This record gives sequence, structure tokens and C-alpha cells, in this order.
Amino acid sequence: MKSIFFKAAGFVAVITFLFACETMNDDELTGSGTVVLEFDNRIGSNELNLGQTVASNNSGEEYTVTTLNYFVSNIQLTAMDGKTISFPDQYYIVREADEASQRITLNDVPAGDYHHLTYMIGVDSLKSVSPEAERTGVLDIYSYGDDNMYWVWNSGYIFFKMEGVSPVSTKPGNVFKFHIGGFGGKDTATPNNLKVIDTMLSEDLAVRNMSSSTAHVVLDVTKVFDGINSLKIAETPVIMDMTGGMKVSANYSSAFSMDHIH
Amino acid sequence: MRYLILIAGLLSLWSCEKAGGEVPIINEEKPLFEVPSNFDEPVYDLSKNPVSEEGFQLGRKLFYDGRLSRDGTISCAECHGQPYAFTHHGHIVSHGIDNRVGRRNAPPIQNTAWMTSFFWDGGVFDLDLFSPAPIMNPLEMDETMTNVIDKIAADSTYRQMFKEAYGTEEVNTSRFLRALSQFMNALVSANSRYDKYVRNEPGGELTADELEGLRLFEQKCSSCHSGALFSDQSFRNNGLEPFRIDPDLGRALVTERPEDRLKFKVPSLRNIRFTAPYMHDGRFSSLDDVLDHYAAGVQDTENLDPLLKSEDGILGIALTSTEKAQIISFLKTLSDEEFVRDSRFAAP
Repeated sequence: MKSIFFKAAGFVAVITFLFACETMNDDELTGSGTVVLEFDNRIGSNELNLGQTVASNNSGEEYTVTTLNYFVSNIQLTAMDGKTISFPDQYYIVREADEASQRITLNDVPAGDYHHLTYMIGVDSLKSVSPEAERTGVLDIYSYGDDNMYWVWNSGYIFFKMEGVSPVSTKPGNVFKFHIGGFGGKDTATPNNLKVIDTMLSEDLAVRNMSSSTAHVVLDVTKVFDGINSLKIAETPVIMDMTGGMKVSANYSSAFSMDHIH
Repeated sequence: MRYLILIAGLLSLWSCEKAGGEVPIINEEKPLFEVPSNFDEPVYDLSKNPVSEEGFQLGRKLFYDGRLSRDGTISCAECHGQPYAFTHHGHIVSHGIDNRVGRRNAPPIQNTAWMTSFFWDGGVFDLDLFSPAPIMNPLEMDETMTNVIDKIAADSTYRQMFKEAYGTEEVNTSRFLRALSQFMNALVSANSRYDKYVRNEPGGELTADELEGLRLFEQKCSSCHSGALFSDQSFRNNGLEPFRIDPDLGRALVTERPEDRLKFKVPSLRNIRFTAPYMHDGRFSSLDDVLDHYAAGVQDTENLDPLLKSEDGILGIALTSTEKAQIISFLKTLSDEEFVRDSRFAAP
């Protein structure tokens, strides 16, 4: 008898609890908020200051980065309940030289607790072959000035561009240049350097109505040089071909990490 | 080598024919774009960017405007002159800004609406994406699109023309590129004597030699130079000896595939009489040289087109000197005098 009573009481309690939770969730998880993806380019644990920060790669080559740009697109957030939010047709260029470009603001994100973030470094193949009229914003080559992010002779965007100087470079001005592109080709299969960065968040990204949450992403430049592949500036100071770029893209696909949520 | 180039240059100056007479042909009544009855349907989607009078006039002004280059000296027409079917007369490879020299021969601009890719290596797959390439090439016009658009937008005449073409004065990349596409798409060449022959039109009479040349051409050349464009638009290695130093890898520069090394796009043969010198690097100054190459000069290099090598290993295409002469007389029927003298396509 006693045990039945307790069982019944427990059952009621659980039901009440579930019910309460649901009600509470309903209150909280309506509406939409803003998510800011903040891209912080660093060299190891140091800040990256263009033209100033001197670092060394694992091959003992000293270098200073002078330009660092990359496209971010195809952002997706997945919530605990499996709900996935996409941001189609939103393309961004993060430029180290332009602080505002390092904060990507995603509007109208449905309230929820997101634990999974994916994004692409580059411009997907569909957009890469799209009519010129669909290439607006950061896809408009007018926006590049002298800091070009498009290959005109082999139609395609430069997904990731890192330039700098290094005493070991044999090129005039001791420069090194990594221009990475290649969406896989339109009619002929060509190298594909599109990289999807898939991040399970260590803490949930809580999006609430009318409020803003920020995910702080770090790109560690040292990992661009030393990842699956070790890039030696003395050997290849200039990488602008798609095949050569595969070594670089393989590295930087593991160079992005989620630092914290705030 | 230098002497060879000099001699080749002199020969090309001497042999490159300009369209008969200097008299422009006034064609104001003709529609700016029409699909000739002996052509297929265009590749370019004209419904998205039809050729309008206003867009065409804007594109024409841009085409002839040196401000598209860094220092204002090089317009598109510099390397694409109308009397030579929009090629660079007398230049083996094109000459750009500060007298810098490219490594390839400027192809004609004609029948762009039917083309599946652009450049000798096919690196650009859409006409609307073509124009930034010469503009931004440091050897050609060496300018940024940002500066070009800003220069054009600062000019009130242009702003007025953009308004006439698009409804508002706004100058942007898309409008700029589409206007140039409209001008280029209007450059339809389909009124050669040969065209009139296939359409059974007056003026389409071919001589016995030309007809024999046509028969030989269909037998020996048209598997690559096929269709109304006289090109199947594929990429092939036609057996030219590559330069020992820094050889041009052609299509492989775009695809990075070893099987594309030394392949170049099969060029159209329309207006070939006006477009000397020939080949991707302009190495041949005359059609005789071209035919001699196919008859006896083909080299068995990497990725040589199988059509140029027989089963028993004989290279090239068997041609007697009479056959060569007949093919050349046929090729000269592909000259469209009306096209190269049409006043609508001249500098505004």
C-alpha cells in the first residue's frame, strides 16, 4: 500500500515536473534573438597584429602575417532537439584588417539552446557558378579594391588568403602568399578546397527572445602552418594553385576552434 | 629566336588582310541580336540579359573606353579591333599596359552568345564573368574593378546612359558587366559567303575550288572545327611544339589535371582571313603555315589529340599541296565583310 502510494506520488511528481518544465520552456523559447559569431585570429596564445607579430612555425621559420582574409558561409546551428537553423545566401569575408568584419551577426535566430555550429570556409560550388547578378555584397568584386578575393582568369573566389613576410622566402620582398580556392569545377572535376568546420559547443549557445548571444571562434595561425601538413615557407613561399592549396586547406580546417560563448 | 619573331612579325603584318575597303556598312535597321537560321540556339541566357539598344550603346562605349585600364591607355578595342574581327592586328601575343606582353594571341570576339567557355584555356565559364579578367590582368589593363566602377560612376554621361539602359543612374558591377555582354553578344558574325551558301541566299556562290575545299574540310577538319561556330569548343592538343622554357600548359592551368596539359580550346575559324597570326601563341603568320603544320609539323607531345595520330603512328593530317590550297580557299569564304565593317560596332 505504502509503496503504491509512493509510486503514485512519484508519478504525479514526475508528471508535474515534466509539465512544469514544458511550460517553463514555452515561456522562454519563443521569439528570436541574435547570434554573433566573433572570429578572433590569433597566433598561438598571442594576438595577431598584422605586420607586427613575429612568430615561428615548427620548421623554425620566422614569419609575420600582413594579410589574413577568409570567406565564411553556409552557417548552421543545431539545437539539442535536433532542430537545425540555416542561414542560406549569407556570405561573409572576415578580414583581419577590418575589425567590423570579424563579427558576423545572424538575425532572427529562433530561441533555443544550440550545441552544434557548422560553417564553411569558402563559397559553395552552387554560388561559385551562379549568375553574376546573384553576386552581391562580399561576392561583388567591386568590394575588393586592391585586396582581391576572386580569380578572374579561372572563375572562382579565393576562399582563404594569408600573406606575409619571412626572411626565408626566396621571393622578392621576402613575401609569402597563400591564396586558397577551388570549388570543384563547373564542367570538369577540379580540386576542391571547400572546408566545412564542424564544432560541437562545450556549452550551449542559448538564444533567447530579443537578446544577443556571442560565440567566440578562434583561428590559430600557427595551425595553418603546422597541422596535418607542415608548410615550409622556404619550400613553397607562394601557393596559389588549387592542388597546392589542398595542403593549406587541410591545415586550416583544423585551425578553427570554439573558444567560449558569452 | 629574336630574329624569328621579328621575321614572323613582319610576315604577319604583310599577310594579315584587312577587310576589303574602309567603307563602313550602315546597318542601323538590323536588329542588334538575332539567331541566324543556320545557327543553334544560343548558350547564353538572353532572356536574363537581352540586347537592348541602350544597353548595347553603353556596352559599346565601355568597350572603347581606355578608362577601363589603370592609366587610361588601354581599352578592350586595343587588342580586339573590329577590322580584324576583333583581334589584335599584327600582334603575335597581345600587348597591354606599359607595353607589357601577354603570352597568348587575342582571340576574336564574335558569336559570344554561343560560347560555352572563354579564353584559350576555358578558365571563364560565363560571358558575364569574362570582362574583369582583362581588366584586372596586370599584363593587360591592370586595374581593379573598384576603380573602374568608381571612374565610370563619376562620369555624368555614363550615369545618364546607365539610366537609359537600366532605369536609374546607379553604376554597379552587375550593370557594367551586363552592358559589356550585350555589346559582345551583338557581335554576331553569320554573313560570310559560306553562310549565304548554306542558307541558299544571293551572294552565296562558291567556286569549284572552294566547294572542293569545303568537301576536304568536312572530311579532314570538321571533327574538331564543327558546327556553325566551326569549333566543337573542346580542348585539344594539336601537336604544336611547346616552348622549352616555361611552356604554356593551356587547359591544365585551369583544371590542374595532367590529362589537360598542352590542350587549348579549338578556335572558331570564322573570319580567319582577318585574324592572323594563328594558334594560341600566334606562332603561325599565315594559313599556309597552319595547313603545313597539320600536314607535316605535328609533334607527338603529351596528350596529343588521338585524331592527329593514326593507328600506325603517322602524325598529322594527310594533305597534298592542292588540297591545302583548296581548303584555304574554302576558309576564305568564312570572311564576313559586313561584320568587320558594320558601323554599329565601331568606336562611338
